[in-house]
Amino acid sequence: MARSSRLNVMRLGALWATLLIGSSLWAFAGEESVKSLPNEGRYLYRPVPDIPLRDVEGRPLWLSSLWKERPVLLTLIFTRCSGICSPLLRSLKSAVEVVGGLGSDYHIVVLSFDPRDTLSDMRELADHLELSGKRGWIFAVAAPEDIARVVKATGFWFVREESSQQYDHPAMVIGIREGRLLRFLVGGTVAPVRLNEVVRELRGEFVPAYPLPRPGKVIFRCAQYDPESGRWRPDWGFLLLLLPGVLTLFGTVWIFHRGRFFRDEGGPGEGNTRVS
Amino acid sequence: MITDRALPASGWEVDRQRWERLTALWMIVMLALFPILLGLGAFMRIVQSHLLPTLLPEWFYAVMTLHGLGMVGTWFVGGMAAVSYIVARYVRPRPVISHIAFWATLLGVVLLLVTTLLGKFGVGWYFLYPLPFYPAGVWPTWATWTFLLALAVLGVGWTIWAVDLLYAIAQRYSLRVALGWPYIRSGTGPEIPPALPIVTVSLISALSGFLAAVIILVLSVLEWAGTGFSNDALLMKNLIFFFGHVLVNITMYLGVVLVYELLPHYAQRPWKMSRLVAIAWNTVLFLVLFAYAHHLYMDFVQPQWLQVLGQVSSYFISVPAAVVTIFSTLVLVFGAPMQWTLSSLLLYLGVMGWAIGGVAAVIDSTIAVNVRFHNTLWVPAHFHTYYLMGVVLMLLGFAAHFGREASKQPENGRLAKVIVTLLVIGGYGFLMMFYLGGAQSVPRRYAVYPDEVQQGVTYAQVSLAFIALLTTGVLLYLWETGRRYWHALRAST
Repeated sequence: MARSSRLNVMRLGALWATLLIGSSLWAFAGEESVKSLPNEGRYLYRPVPDIPLRDVEGRPLWLSSLWKERPVLLTLIFTRCSGICSPLLRSLKSAVEVVGGLGSDYHIVVLSFDPRDTLSDMRELADHLELSGKRGWIFAVAAPEDIARVVKATGFWFVREESSQQYDHPAMVIGIREGRLLRFLVGGTVAPVRLNEVVRELRGEFVPAYPLPRPGKVIFRCAQYDPESGRWRPDWGFLLLLLPGVLTLFGTVWIFHRGRFFRDEGGPGEGNTRVS
Repeated sequence: MITDRALPASGWEVDRQRWERLTALWMIVMLALFPILLGLGAFMRIVQSHLLPTLLPEWFYAVMTLHGLGMVGTWFVGGMAAVSYIVARYVRPRPVISHIAFWATLLGVVLLLVTTLLGKFGVGWYFLYPLPFYPAGVWPTWATWTFLLALAVLGVGWTIWAVDLLYAIAQRYSLRVALGWPYIRSGTGPEIPPALPIVTVSLISALSGFLAAVIILVLSVLEWAGTGFSNDALLMKNLIFFFGHVLVNITMYLGVVLVYELLPHYAQRPWKMSRLVAIAWNTVLFLVLFAYAHHLYMDFVQPQWLQVLGQVSSYFISVPAAVVTIFSTLVLVFGAPMQWTLSSLLLYLGVMGWAIGGVAAVIDSTIAVNVRFHNTLWVPAHFHTYYLMGVVLMLLGFAAHFGREASKQPENGRLAKVIVTLLVIGGYGFLMMFYLGGAQSVPRRYAVYPDEVQQGVTYAQVSLAFIALLTTGVLLYLWETGRRYWHALRAST
């Protein structure tokens, strides 16, 4: 083999390896930047710990007593928050007014994760948001060790910043049904359309991950199925399933037909060649 | 190396050297990619072992996509390159087409790297519709387009390659001879290598798979270009699994071609064309078009007759191809003055791995069983068996054979046995963890196992020990084979 060929082979090998390794490093280097947002996939269907709460009236209750009645939307905040907490709760309130069903289909539990927060602080927050006594809204506090259990099970986190006396934390609404984490909404704004999906899932409805095709827009249906009669009949799309096989058949015949010009006709086994 | 027993000698030396260079290039790429893709697979099991608790799951899916596409593509092109080299003994494919396929593959791989590692495109190698178009904020739109472009580039390059090989066969053999029909009719016929019908069947099947991919791409672009047109999910799933299943099947068959061609060399016995071989591979040509339907058992809207056809085809496709080949291999080896080298051991074990994976596949293709096993770890268990312990071993066997012939270097017999032992123990141990997980309904494609299937974590953790053995075997193999390639390259200057 010529020296230049050897070099070419080595260069190409080096190019492949560099591309693979370089892309991998670049890709993983960027991971830290999005680490702060909890990932729904990691926590879905995990059990949420049943912890004791105290509502603003000072009544003791268990989280499980709520989700046994109806599903729960849980959000974790602190009352001295100068950042995302109030906008999140206002956005949630607006979205709930659009979507409806609060109190009949689900509860909303607003739980403080700050050990300094008292029942009076939570009552004041509820008053401030005009949510005191509203059906379905439960403002509550819990013991720090219980909060820690919820935090661990849901992917929520908070970090105290001494300089500002504030907590860094994500804005999250956590959907819980029968003690299991069903959905997350992450971000300071709760869009009614997203909340509606979560509420429907909490009700046990099937929510497709993508919109179903509009009637008349699918021109190549594979089959038509009549659920009434249970009968199936092929549609135009079924022809597309046959197309690869049919085209291959014709293509193969054509290739061998063209190839015959190079073969010795009648030669032994038609296996000779005129190639020189 | 290539002999000139079948073609005129004139001008052949030049062609022979070109093919050797080309094959060396393909083999080096294949062997370079293998440990990297193996590493990606190990990474996935590490994630499933909960050893990287802070890693975002979307990385798991992006890596899963790259690992799957990379492995399927690597072994397909490795198989095509090896078979081109083998077929060049009898017919004259054009090296320039193999070069085009090489550059198309290179470009396709770059695009796949970009879409998965930079775009976090994580749909799995089968890109099941409509997932690529609904990323839920995980990957950007450009990643989907880049993926479709990668498929188009790879598809065009590989289709041209397959057509050229088929055309080369057509220039020497008629279709009926290439498919061994005279043997079916009368039990005898023109003297043709038994590998020829397999290559012909594989290439014809490949073309049908690539055409299905073209239809998928056209339909996808039509929908995504904002025409208001929506695709039928059932049609797309049928087409995607038709394409995917055929691609994987023919990769396997390309590996079998190598067994038919090389194992007789080590057994010092010929592997003759027979009626049984011809019937077997012609049956495959027909059945391979329908076997894919076993991927859609759980789709209740799929017509029942297609489900039944899927089960029947899956059962019968394993009989002609696998059983005939396995039986023939055993007969070839039994009582033969066998030279057990690294190459022949890997080829032989590859056939046995195909058999074991095939049994697991047949079990899963039984509708009554599939109800339980569908989308459990049994699925990766069986396809990893006939890939990792089947076609991969066959291709590693070919690469070792090619390297030894090119370098003329004697083999280190002890090291060969160590390599094979590590590959077998590491490989089957790794697979066993998949099988056990599948039998206990541990789902596949889970980055993080929920509490209900925590045994999946244990199996993933145990599998890491076997992966370490397997990786050691692969690295020793690469050392042993790589130095031969190095000698050959140095000697040729």
